[in-house]
Amino acid sequence: MTKLTVKSASKLLVLLIVLISSTSIFMSKASASNLEDTATASIETAENALVSAYQAVLEAEQAGANVSGLLARLNVAGGYLANAHIWYELGDFDNATRFANLSYDVEEEVRNEAYELKNEAHGLWVSDLWLRMTISIVGVICVVFLGFLAWGAFKRRYHKRILGMRPKVVSDES
Amino acid sequence: MNLEEYRTLFIVATLGLTLIAVAPTLGMIVPIPSGSEQFSELWLLGPNHMAEDYPFNITSNHNYSVVLGIGNRLGYCAYYLVEVKFRNQTQSAPHGFNRTPSNLSALFNITAFVADEEIWELPLTFSFGYTYNETLSQVKFYNLALNDFELDMKNYTIVWDVENDGFFGNLFFELWLYNMASSSFQYHSRFVGIWLNATVSNGV
Repeated sequence: MTKLTVKSASKLLVLLIVLISSTSIFMSKASASNLEDTATASIETAENALVSAYQAVLEAEQAGANVSGLLARLNVAGGYLANAHIWYELGDFDNATRFANLSYDVEEEVRNEAYELKNEAHGLWVSDLWLRMTISIVGVICVVFLGFLAWGAFKRRYHKRILGMRPKVVSDES
Repeated sequence: MNLEEYRTLFIVATLGLTLIAVAPTLGMIVPIPSGSEQFSELWLLGPNHMAEDYPFNITSNHNYSVVLGIGNRLGYCAYYLVEVKFRNQTQSAPHGFNRTPSNLSALFNITAFVADEEIWELPLTFSFGYTYNETLSQVKFYNLALNDFELDMKNYTIVWDVENDGFFGNLFFELWLYNMASSSFQYHSRFVGIWLNATVSNGV
């Protein structure tokens, strides 16, 4: 009876060890897969954010803003993303995620600053446009007004000259 | 000249002056196309930042340097991708005339954002790790260290070139440009590269 109990207990122990080890293997595999998924998602998010930040910088540049500082930071973000790709290929998903997140942070900063710069540049453009429009309107009014004045003066002078050339009747009394 | 002709002359002169007065505003609203051609430049310089002393005879795990450069003359800030590729003499090469890239996959991608009318340069330090198989008379690569990045080259081999006496491989860089309309990179028809001779211990 005691022998049987010991045998059953040892069997149970072996079963327990197998169960624990298989669970831990399964858990570690699931964890690795989870890390890989996280890294893939982070890299994809960072890649999309990079394009989005570039688009914002392009719009800021078209609005007339100086974007050289933003481009330098986008190059830094691109470097982080390259690091993320390398770590991913080496199977180090923790570092891949870390670099992808670093890249994403820089990209978000650049995107927000690009929008600010764009709005600033647009505001300057609008105020410049108003100034130029005012100058143009005043200029047009002056040109038209002076044109009328000049034309009136010229017409009077012209008539005077034409009238001065009119043949006169001279009395012939001699 | 009669009065009618003088009046026409006055109207034309007034219109001309009006146009001059309106020009500053028109200049801001109507885009003036720049007559200059839009293009990009891609170059590779030697370690002394000159078009000379390019590495040619290389040994395994030894560092070599070149400088990669891009010039942007597109009229806007551009998002470039440089694909770093390596091929032996029989593998696909980019075609200058057909403007097609090599169909080999890239070992590494370098991204670069370059402002309009500006240049961007990156010093590259690289070393190839390879072994020589005397029986097969081939060099088998296992890695490329490029600016501290370890890149896997396990499927890369070079066989002995009988005609030119060497193991020749081509390290080349293809320029791709991000296209906003298609939301993808497109080959920008430019590539640069250097031929390398992988020397082995028996003096080859």
